[in-house]
Amino acid sequence: MKEKDSGSAQSNPSESSRPFDPLEAWKSMRDASLEVWAKGLTEAVNTDAYTQATGAMLDAYLSASAPFREVMQKSMAQALEQLGLPTRADFESLAERMTHLEMRLDDMDAKLDQLARPRPARSKSKKLK
Amino acid sequence: MAPEVIAQAEERLRRLTQVLTTRAAIAQTPKQVIWTLNKAKLYRYVPVVSAEQRHRLPLLLVFALMNRPDILDLRPGHSFVEFMVHKGYDVYLLDWGTPGLEDRHLKFDDYTLEYMPRAIRKLKAVSGCEEFGVLGWCIGAILTTSYAALRPDDGLRNLILLTAPLDFSNKDAITFAKWTDQRYFDVEKILAAFGNMPSEMIEYGAKALRPVENYIGNYIRLWDNLDDPRVVEAWHAMHTWVTDNIPMAGATFRQLIVDLYQNNRLMQGSWMLRGERVDVRRIRANLMTVIAEGDHITPCCQSESIHQKAGTRDKELYRIPGGHIGVMAGSGASKHTWPHIDAWLGKRSA
Repeated sequence: MKEKDSGSAQSNPSESSRPFDPLEAWKSMRDASLEVWAKGLTEAVNTDAYTQATGAMLDAYLSASAPFREVMQKSMAQALEQLGLPTRADFESLAERMTHLEMRLDDMDAKLDQLARPRPARSKSKKLK
Repeated sequence: MAPEVIAQAEERLRRLTQVLTTRAAIAQTPKQVIWTLNKAKLYRYVPVVSAEQRHRLPLLLVFALMNRPDILDLRPGHSFVEFMVHKGYDVYLLDWGTPGLEDRHLKFDDYTLEYMPRAIRKLKAVSGCEEFGVLGWCIGAILTTSYAALRPDDGLRNLILLTAPLDFSNKDAITFAKWTDQRYFDVEKILAAFGNMPSEMIEYGAKALRPVENYIGNYIRLWDNLDDPRVVEAWHAMHTWVTDNIPMAGATFRQLIVDLYQNNRLMQGSWMLRGERVDVRRIRANLMTVIAEGDHITPCCQSESIHQKAGTRDKELYRIPGGHIGVMAGSGASKHTWPHIDAWLGKRSA
């Protein structure tokens, strides 16, 4: 008990005699202000006004860029066609066909797995009969 | 200024640059590809426990579509996959891969009723076991819940749902539901412009939920701890994963927004996948739902109602403090979440 008391008595003065660290104080202030900012902004992004504003911005960007994108896509497809090169649509249809082929291979692989699996004894005896 | 102060500052700057400009080595648990279809891959982790000591039922991990599944195997010593492999599970991971523009027509229908059944067929062939367990996380939980409801007789015995966004009825509590309100959010315009939902927009959406923490606080935490290699290593690995998002197939994104966020069709029992109604009352697998109490991406209310609706008798709702990702990849995950999953699954995997 005595030891405990003396220990705590010793620790207090050492803490109070610790020199003032301006960096630590600044860090505490920074963290406290960030916490306030975090709470405020998290609440702000949850409002209808934020949803409406971001929705409007996105809509404006997409609407404004749509005609350019369409012109770009059309002219690119025409240019590739005239050069005798495959277009995006060609690659897409090829990829689709590849996936279908993969599925058929997968089904065959599954059948091979089934054949390779040891047959249960019951079915074997049935066959022998 | 003392030379050692300059040297220390130089070292801190070097470390900061290295962490911010390089990718950490993540997902390092040894694995083999055993099946592929289009961009999807099924991995089997190399077992470290002898076949006699392993749990009989294999475990399939299914993660979200717009992030890489590496979070399940973040780094050695801090990896859920590594933990489960060492606990004697035969662990498989379904990696959806990165959809290209040619995949923009892929829907939940395809993932749930084409990709998953095929991957599971291979899992059964390789493991030699007709029954299995599935762990679905985030969007992966939507996929696995749908699969469990549509194919209840396919051998699925144990279903673990992690931070599962299934119920979209409480729109006031779900920030994403507010943002994707049909009055302000035109999904068709986005898909007409990009085909798929771009990864940059997904990343922005996730970060904007907590802007100060994600854009400022996170980097301040790194700066404050630059002298602590353990913190730096953990930060680096998480940053590598967080900044490596992938686009979401356009048709899947449309379903996620229109069918789920805007109309809550899954929980209302009116969601149709390839002409089949997804009725969660048909789920018969043993069910554990893990809810992160501090989850701002999938608030608790989104994962709770599945417990009343699922048809299974063996159900557990496990609540744990933590966030959407922290619950499985945070510092407390190896002490709380992982052992709890192991204890629950171990009893049911014999």
